[in-house]
Amino acid sequence: MHLGTAFGSGAGSVMRPGPGTPPCNSHGKKEVSMTHQNKTLTREQADAFGRELLALRQEVVADLGERDVEHIRRIIRAARRSEAAGRVLLHVGIGPVSFVLGTSALALSKILENMEIGHNVMHGQYDWTGDPDLASQRYEWDLVCTGDDWRHSHNYEHHTFTNILGKDRDIGYVMLRVVQEQEWKPVHLAQPILAALLALFFQWGVGAHDLRIDELFAGKQTSRQFARRARPFLTKATWQLFKDYGFFPILALANAPRVALGNLLANGARNLWAFAVIFCGHFPEGVRVYDQAETENESRGEWYARQLGGSANVEGGRWLHLLTGHLSHQIEHHLFPDVPASRYPEMAPRVREICARYGQSYCTGSFRRQLGSVARRIGRLALPGPRRPVAAKPVAHPAAGRVASAWIGRRAA
Amino acid sequence: MKSAEYIANLWRSTRSTLFRRLFLDRQAEFWVREIDPVHTLTGIRAQVVDVIAETDDTKSFVLRPNAAWRGHRAGQSTLVEVEIDGVRVHRFYSISSAPGQALISITVKRVPGGRVSSWLHQHVGVGHVVGLGPASGDFVLPTPISARLLLLSGGSGITPVMSMLRDLAARSAIEDVAFVHYARTRADVIFGDELEDLAARHAGLRLIVCVDDDDDAPRGFDEAHLAALVPDFAERSTFLCGPGALMDRVEKLWADVGASHHLQRERFVAAPLFTPLVASGEGVDVRLSRSQRRVVTRGAGTLLEQLEGAGERPANGCRMGICRTCTCLKHSGTVENLVTGEVSSEPDQEIQLCISVPRSDLELDL
Repeated sequence: MHLGTAFGSGAGSVMRPGPGTPPCNSHGKKEVSMTHQNKTLTREQADAFGRELLALRQEVVADLGERDVEHIRRIIRAARRSEAAGRVLLHVGIGPVSFVLGTSALALSKILENMEIGHNVMHGQYDWTGDPDLASQRYEWDLVCTGDDWRHSHNYEHHTFTNILGKDRDIGYVMLRVVQEQEWKPVHLAQPILAALLALFFQWGVGAHDLRIDELFAGKQTSRQFARRARPFLTKATWQLFKDYGFFPILALANAPRVALGNLLANGARNLWAFAVIFCGHFPEGVRVYDQAETENESRGEWYARQLGGSANVEGGRWLHLLTGHLSHQIEHHLFPDVPASRYPEMAPRVREICARYGQSYCTGSFRRQLGSVARRIGRLALPGPRRPVAAKPVAHPAAGRVASAWIGRRAA
Repeated sequence: MKSAEYIANLWRSTRSTLFRRLFLDRQAEFWVREIDPVHTLTGIRAQVVDVIAETDDTKSFVLRPNAAWRGHRAGQSTLVEVEIDGVRVHRFYSISSAPGQALISITVKRVPGGRVSSWLHQHVGVGHVVGLGPASGDFVLPTPISARLLLLSGGSGITPVMSMLRDLAARSAIEDVAFVHYARTRADVIFGDELEDLAARHAGLRLIVCVDDDDDAPRGFDEAHLAALVPDFAERSTFLCGPGALMDRVEKLWADVGASHHLQRERFVAAPLFTPLVASGEGVDVRLSRSQRRVVTRGAGTLLEQLEGAGERPANGCRMGICRTCTCLKHSGTVENLVTGEVSSEPDQEIQLCISVPRSDLELDL
């Protein structure tokens, strides 16, 4: 399937996706053919592409209002009620039925708190409301990762440098080889086990992510710097451990072991779920990585193109969207990280239409397909193999230096 | 004594840390609000218990505040917070009721095109909950109360001086009060009936209402007319609130007769202050309210670049408007978003420094 001719001066060359044939994934088995489907855009084309996406964003932002606030408050209410129900069932219940129900309710509340509430609120999706409870820079979530560390490693680093090798530390969380462009190291032989451990203890991986332990070992940060980075995390982690395995169990008196186990399982379920959702968002077949050189002076339009190329969607119903915090719409999330996530489903068809016109593939597939794809990759890339060079960008930037100031990407510090 | 205070403070801070770290504060706040949206644990909230139509375009909202309300002094105002289509918006309103009561009232004139006043008139009824700030302002009666007072107001500027008059009446402290009010027509006089009633009951209250459609009086404020009505105005302790034009002329008159020290003023603004816009790139004055510093911008750079150029170090990340690390509260002024072209001129809006350029003098929460 070639979309390479979709953009150009030739009349009638506009290509639209046929019904039910998503551009990137229909029968994606071979990795190599996948990553080259994108038409490489010149800077002018990329900026025109970006402007169309920005116009879509503005349209939705202008329409934000009561129903968006109602949505997030409804989710918060559901999470708090679910947590209360879960704790009551665990604390005063007897027998396995109330245990399973209580743990499930608690897990549900933790998933909502993590995905649809915490992640989205901290992105600033509700800053426009002026509600202090929904303020991005002050929100603290029920996770061992501190809000400040998350805002730095995720909102800033991951969303700015998405899928740039050596700059986006979310690529395999620095420990896994998830794309062939990463160099193989012997430690990767153990990565199926590492991945399973990361999935089970995902909140700890996320929490320690911004401490840059790898840089400590590589001598790129001093132990003093590391200690300064680690202190807020260790403080929060201690409180979280105390909350889940000290405070609440003690409150339950004789039911203490049951409550501690319920908390452990609920945390574990949330960890597995968050891991699965996040790994489906950036590492299935059809998603590409970038190298630092090609993104050095990228314009805002090229940033949009990279967000699209580096993300993948998961198809599903309303419940899947809610439970993933709408990260099932990872592409829309990366294009519009500060637009309320519940708007992504209505934006998606428009985004796909724009992508098709610019010959950009839009990677989407079922949860099973995307997760299976990631799992196969983790298995295959554990074995030694040559490092594939990042697909180079053949077109020079004729307009470099002449772009309207607003469309220059990152401004120098 | 000292050690008891130390232990008490330690207990309070430990308790608040514990509650915050275990997310119990958030839980408690949520469940209290679920049960009763007024009696929350944080912040002042109030429920509307009555709405009184004062004139065609003015309504009084009688509020029952929660326990966090610490009362007010006559003449003070409060920051009223309402949610309009999902967005929290704030406006200062003078409190028109007398202090020391369980209920307070604000009196709101509907301003054409005024978002908050229109919304209050259209959507807020009995049972509605609004947020309040603590009472503030130093436009208040002195203690002890001066014997000879002049309460001078125009239009909806009557609200703070009405609170003063009601306070004096409740304390039976009306000795020699001249109450002069300017309005367009008789029907536009807010609290007209109550004023007449008070004047009838208190010998010390002289009520003078000047309306534009009176045949035998000049239109609006007139210096000679006032001097004729209240010959000793310069010796009276005067409290003035009204439209800008009225206040300017009164201030000038008081200055001319050397009585400015007797004059207390409350300027009220119905809508956000208009700030003159400058072309992008023109130098503006940026006040940083926390550090108490000032920065003058040069050239066309973003606010972040301008602040950094002046030696400030505001937090920042992506420098392209996506991560929101540099999000900052803008107390006043107008900025333009370089990416979207949006213009923010409302007070107390959050802006992103890395993609905003100043279009007027600014005050930032930095």
